[in-house]
Amino acid sequence: MTVLGRQSRLRLPLVGILIIAVGALTIGPVLMLVIGSFSKGIGAIGTFTIDKYVAAYTDPTLPKTLGNTVIFTLGAACFSTILGGLFAYLSVRTDIPFSGLFRILPVVPMMIPHVLFAAAWITLLNPTNGMLNLFLRNLFGLSSGPFNIYSLGGMIFLEGMLDLPVTYLVISPAMYSFDTTLEEASRVSGASNLYTLRRVTLPILKPAFLATFTLAIIRTLAAFAIPSMVGMPGRIHILTTHIYRIISVGWSPDYGRAAALGLIVLAASIVLVYLYRHLISEGSQFVTVTGKGYRPTVVELGRARYPLFILCIVLFCFLVVIPLATLIYMSFLPYSMVPSARAFSMMNMRNWHAVLRNSVIVRALKNSVFLSIAGATLGIVLSLFVAYVVVKVKSKGSALLESLSFLSFSFPGMIIGVGFMWFLVKTPLYATIWGLLVAYVGTYLPYGVRPLRSAFMQIDEELEESARVFGATFLRALKDIIVPLLAPGVVSAWILMACMFIRELSVSVVLSRPGTEVLTVEIMKLANDGLWGQVAALGIIMIGLSTALVLIASLLRIPLSHSEQ
Amino acid sequence: MQGMVSVKNLVKTFASKDETVTALNNVTLSTPANKILTLLGPSGCGKTTLLRCIAGLESPVSGEISIGGEVVWSKEKGISLPPERRGIGMVFQSYAIWPHMTVFGNVAYPLEIRKTPKQEIRERVRKVLELVKLSGFENRLATKLSGGQQQRVALARALVAEPKVILFDEPLSNLDAKLRESTRQELRDFLTELAISAIYVTHDQVEALTISDHIAIMRGGVIVEQGTPQDIYLRSNNPFVVDFIGRANFLDATIKGYKDQHHAIVSCALGDIVCSAPSDLGIGTKVTIYTRPESFEVAPPSSVPLENEFEGTVTSLLFAGEAHEAEILVGGARILAKLKFHIPLKKGDKVRLHVDREWCRALSPGEEA
Repeated sequence: MTVLGRQSRLRLPLVGILIIAVGALTIGPVLMLVIGSFSKGIGAIGTFTIDKYVAAYTDPTLPKTLGNTVIFTLGAACFSTILGGLFAYLSVRTDIPFSGLFRILPVVPMMIPHVLFAAAWITLLNPTNGMLNLFLRNLFGLSSGPFNIYSLGGMIFLEGMLDLPVTYLVISPAMYSFDTTLEEASRVSGASNLYTLRRVTLPILKPAFLATFTLAIIRTLAAFAIPSMVGMPGRIHILTTHIYRIISVGWSPDYGRAAALGLIVLAASIVLVYLYRHLISEGSQFVTVTGKGYRPTVVELGRARYPLFILCIVLFCFLVVIPLATLIYMSFLPYSMVPSARAFSMMNMRNWHAVLRNSVIVRALKNSVFLSIAGATLGIVLSLFVAYVVVKVKSKGSALLESLSFLSFSFPGMIIGVGFMWFLVKTPLYATIWGLLVAYVGTYLPYGVRPLRSAFMQIDEELEESARVFGATFLRALKDIIVPLLAPGVVSAWILMACMFIRELSVSVVLSRPGTEVLTVEIMKLANDGLWGQVAALGIIMIGLSTALVLIASLLRIPLSHSEQ
Repeated sequence: MQGMVSVKNLVKTFASKDETVTALNNVTLSTPANKILTLLGPSGCGKTTLLRCIAGLESPVSGEISIGGEVVWSKEKGISLPPERRGIGMVFQSYAIWPHMTVFGNVAYPLEIRKTPKQEIRERVRKVLELVKLSGFENRLATKLSGGQQQRVALARALVAEPKVILFDEPLSNLDAKLRESTRQELRDFLTELAISAIYVTHDQVEALTISDHIAIMRGGVIVEQGTPQDIYLRSNNPFVVDFIGRANFLDATIKGYKDQHHAIVSCALGDIVCSAPSDLGIGTKVTIYTRPESFEVAPPSSVPLENEFEGTVTSLLFAGEAHEAEILVGGARILAKLKFHIPLKKGDKVRLHVDREWCRALSPGEEA
């Protein structure tokens, strides 16, 4: 450690500055949320009152809202855990055809913003003129469409599918690392396949399934796009939309009451995140010594092989193909109608023109692109410092920093948006694009820190040390060794963040003001006005932007990967 | 011979991306009851595949397997018993200890499946844990044990239901060298004491030699030789086996005549020597003879020359603790000899060596190493 002596002197203030910055971005809004909930109003911070709590918790509609929240959250979490478990099992453990493909498919829906997913399914399944409903009505001569997307069932269906990438990514490593000799040992001991599943396989995977389920609950508890676009028209409110109505409906938005309610959602999320962390570490205790050399064959599906394959393909169509095709189709139509010769003859570019000539939407486009690029850059720079300190500096300060940067992972965007509202109101950032920028970075910091942290951990200390031994200075070693090795990780973290910011909704919906409009909020407004064609056109532009980001970054990555070798 | 486990004409292939690999090529094997048979061979020789076919974890293509006289798999008869109905116990390379169960839970599992009464389960688990020296560990989570202890839990679990045969799949390969040696000894003691039929897979020759009653050497999906450890190590005529097990000096030789039915006089780099050889080789036949490095002895300086004595020059010397490993140049050939450590030797010394005719053997001609 003597070589590093000079650096530790540099490092100490760095840790301090980072703790203050990250603390301000994560604890700050929470603290202000608490203060705000006890304040008389957004203009009168600090004038103590408990009126807001009384008003928030005596609201006669609250019990119904809570009931809906529980059903929606548990339902969608269950659905997405089952979907994720199914996809993970089939792709990792079985001989399903194209299993390599199935390892990519479940994560593809990440590319589709939730608002657009909702919009597509609404145009397909709304009870009055949903295209699929119209089609089925004509087909079977029904008096009304068989499906109503504006229902709890519809919300659970959509949200469950949207959380599939997350549940899949959490559960598939557990399937990968599952030691199949544990099952074989049970068979050899005299147990049947089913008995083995019940006594060995499922108990060992239980922590992983529970962790996945917990994470899915955290996600659905914070969900806003589906509840607002699908739930609100059907008058089905859950906590996030209930809070949204408090700050968006009526003459004077009541941020105090919103804060008072938001705190219970926040508290629940924090508890769940710690439960999740506990479950993940419990799951890793089940990792045993694994045999070398022999790789057991996969589970043979036999006759179920192709039916299951088709089931997966159908699910994938539900997730990606159908929504995308619907959006493209809708963007050229004046109003929604079932595909027919007449429909195709009526296609035109009016929706696209309307969107691109709308000065508010053009401004929203510019704002979103700015927030995405500037936010991702700022976020990644901050994450780099945090990740470096967390991995390379072992001290109480760095442990605190790690907890801080992980904490906001649990924060529901909508609630933390209200927190940032209180946090920013007395600052010059209030109602500016810079305010949004700060809120974005604060809310999504864990998504930058986590991948970079693992990138740093993969760089063995000795690589840096050997450069020093062979005569490189600290900075030279940083430039020659650390940066080239880290670059691919940084680029992918940057893309991830930039894509998240392009489609950011739940924080923006609270903080966006005239002048600081962003894409998703404008899409939501268009949807509220029933302009589905314009929603589709703007949505495709949005998907095009994210795709362009990924493409540009992957072009950038080619020279970077050369320097790696 | 009807053995405990008998395998007839077993064929197993694996289909990989664009080729079919034959893992077992018409294997026939019979294991003696109450003895330990080891399947030994380099990696990829098919030993683990054979074991897994016997266990029922792998399905062969053709042939027949029976355990304790009962056919458990037969292509012809259309019989295919699942692993749970073959009455076997198995110790896996990774031990496969269930991490969510205690030591007791792991060991009691085979008995619970057999619906053994609770009281009896407790008694039998206690006994078997005593045997493997894990008494008092019943309520520990199995994964909280050390590697060696986990290994013994796996053994207890395999023993508890008194299976007809226990299968071992490289059970010691996850232990460190020191522990491996002591566990090897323990395992050998357990198995001989209980007089259990066992099939043991390993790629470690020393492990195979010390633990087994019988060894079957496998190569490329075929059993090339079977016999007692002594047969295999000292009396094999198979060039692959000789080369695979331990070290050997190979020398080109020509048959000059026969001393008796089993011993021929050959001329080679060591001079004319007597070695054990197949009886039907004609005079002038070219053969390869081999000697083990440890079969050489230094002849007393002033004694009458013995049979098979020759003189050479020490060209390099390695002190390996328990012995000198000397490279000796004789008649243009270099041979490796392990000589007793107390004999003073240095590079360049002339040395007279002697090798017993039994430890100097001609390989069967026509087989390649």
